Amino acid sequence: MSKIVVLGAGISGHVAASHLRRKLSKEHEVVVVSPNSNYQWIPSNIWVGIGRMKSKQVLFPLAPLYKKKGITYKQAKAITFHPEGDAKESKPYVLSEYVFGDKKGTTEKITYDYLINATGPKLNFEATEGLIPGENKVYSVCTYGHAEHAWEGLNAVIQKLKSGEKAKILIGTGHGKATCQGAAFEYILNVEQELRRHDVRDNAEITWISNEYHLGDFGMDGMLMSYHGMTMKSSEMVEMIFEDRGIKWILGAGVNKIEDGIAHYENLDGEFKNETYDFAMLIPAFSGHGFKAYDKNNNDITEKLFKGFMIVDADYSSKPYEEWTVQDWPETYQNPNYKNIFAPGIAFAPPHAISQPRQSKNGTAISPSPPRTGMPSGITAKLVADNIIDSIKSGKESLHHKGSLGNMGAACIASAGYGMTQGSGVSITTYPIVPDYKKYPKTQGRQLGKTFGEIGLAGHWLKLALHYAFIYKAKMRPFWWLIPE
Amino acid sequence: MTQRISKYQRFKMMNPILQFFKFIYLSIKIMIVVAGGHGGTRKVD
Ligand SMILES: Cc1cc2nc3c(=O)[nH]c(=O)nc-3n(C[C@H](O)[C@H](O)[C@H](O)COP(=O)(O)OP(=O)(O)OC[C@H]3O[C@@H](n4cnc5c(N)ncnc54)[C@H](O)[C@@H]3O)c2cc1C
Repeated sequence: MSKIVVLGAGISGHVAASHLRRKLSKEHEVVVVSPNSNYQWIPSNIWVGIGRMKSKQVLFPLAPLYKKKGITYKQAKAITFHPEGDAKESKPYVLSEYVFGDKKGTTEKITYDYLINATGPKLNFEATEGLIPGENKVYSVCTYGHAEHAWEGLNAVIQKLKSGEKAKILIGTGHGKATCQGAAFEYILNVEQELRRHDVRDNAEITWISNEYHLGDFGMDGMLMSYHGMTMKSSEMVEMIFEDRGIKWILGAGVNKIEDGIAHYENLDGEFKNETYDFAMLIPAFSGHGFKAYDKNNNDITEKLFKGFMIVDADYSSKPYEEWTVQDWPETYQNPNYKNIFAPGIAFAPPHAISQPRQSKNGTAISPSPPRTGMPSGITAKLVADNIIDSIKSGKESLHHKGSLGNMGAACIASAGYGMTQGSGVSITTYPIVPDYKKYPKTQGRQLGKTFGEIGLAGHWLKLALHYAFIYKAKMRPFWWLIPE
Repeated sequence: MTQRISKYQRFKMMNPILQFFKFIYLSIKIMIVVAGGHGGTRKVD
């Protein structure tokens, strides 16, 4: 009998737990430890943030589902890792603190045979002074709670615009090393469409602010893609959309301080500037959770497990951008020091960025960190689960399932406005996610055809269809496993 | 605002009938990219 503990019940943790439970007999225990009692389909938070969806449409409670499916659920947060146990506990364990119920505030040593760390990112608002969701007129859409709050702020601005006043809206990244530009891109287009719907677009100035060097970099070094039979750069596509929608942009901006209605930033020329606004949505920096790890003698071994995020089978040797290869990226998400620990989704430490790193003239790093979107998060979680299942069934370590971001495609359906007849979406697929400049030297590291873009109403329908399909899948309804990650 | 997307292009982008076929096409194309599989990059054999 094996006990598999999954930390986190986001896209990757939930995917791993559900596949483990489906494929392993009941003698094996699957335990999920997560502080949030709800599963949330984060991509649809964009629509919560424009008031077109309610929170309850993007979430559902985990406890009843896990009870029904035979998954043990502990509403707790991991605090410290003890991969060798300690003087009293011979098994490896994670010290976790309950956050709800009778046990709230108490800790438990949760032992395991296999550990999946799927704790995603810490939303590191503190890295930017004054960037506090809901304060200083700046908001976030990274959680459903933040998104609801953002809608309240946006709605207040819409009412102001309706009374004939002017307003400035600023959307993008809130830190020089932020990632997740795609989410901000979706939000700015949705906000723009909502202002048109409310007939107040002419009164608003909308500006994109980002740490990207080019528009459409998305933390993926941009893309060369097929678009209507032509080969187009993602920068050209985004420029076309922004110009068409009357959206201004500021690039190479490392936002470093927020005051009430003022975003301070440094640009790549080393100039310190600011931009005023009446409503802003800025994505914070993502960081690891700051977990500590100890050996059985209670010595600090954090550096064996963490490098900000969790160390896995990546090549972490530092090398210049020109020498980066797809082989640097992990394939099995296994920790090299403790082979029964894995980290799929955002929880693993990437070997380096994907976009070319850049610094301002003052030496401040201003370029996107690598994104890990929902699809690769789900795929990496499933392959980790499959390797654990094979290892348990065969009685020896099995790592046959591999999935490097350098050999994996991803679809990104970016909502560009909500509505069954007026909605729009920018559908982009990219293969591979991490550009392979050796294999595809003439097409910026990607395979044309498999890397393509489309704009239109179908994109909105697709995004909405994915919303329903993935919530169906997450609820583990009949044949849920037929829906791919 | 600069009109970067022509009226004809916009008509095609927003026409529900054309977009229905596009929806089918995109769903299949995305499935091909996504279900096209994934693997390692460090083959040594
Ligand atoms: C607004 C927004 C829109 C997005 N849109 C898209 C999109 O359209 N398409 C797409 O592919 N991707 C999108 N993404 C990215 C996608 O949401 C992420 O890739 C995905 O959520 C990552 O999954 P994860 O499980 O690794 O992390 P998360 O989803 O962040 O899950 C982490 C889990 O760990 C839990 N946790 C945290 N701390 C602890 C702890 N100490 N102990 C135990 N558990 C802990 C959390 O409660 C959570 O359950 C979007 C992201 C954002 C923010």
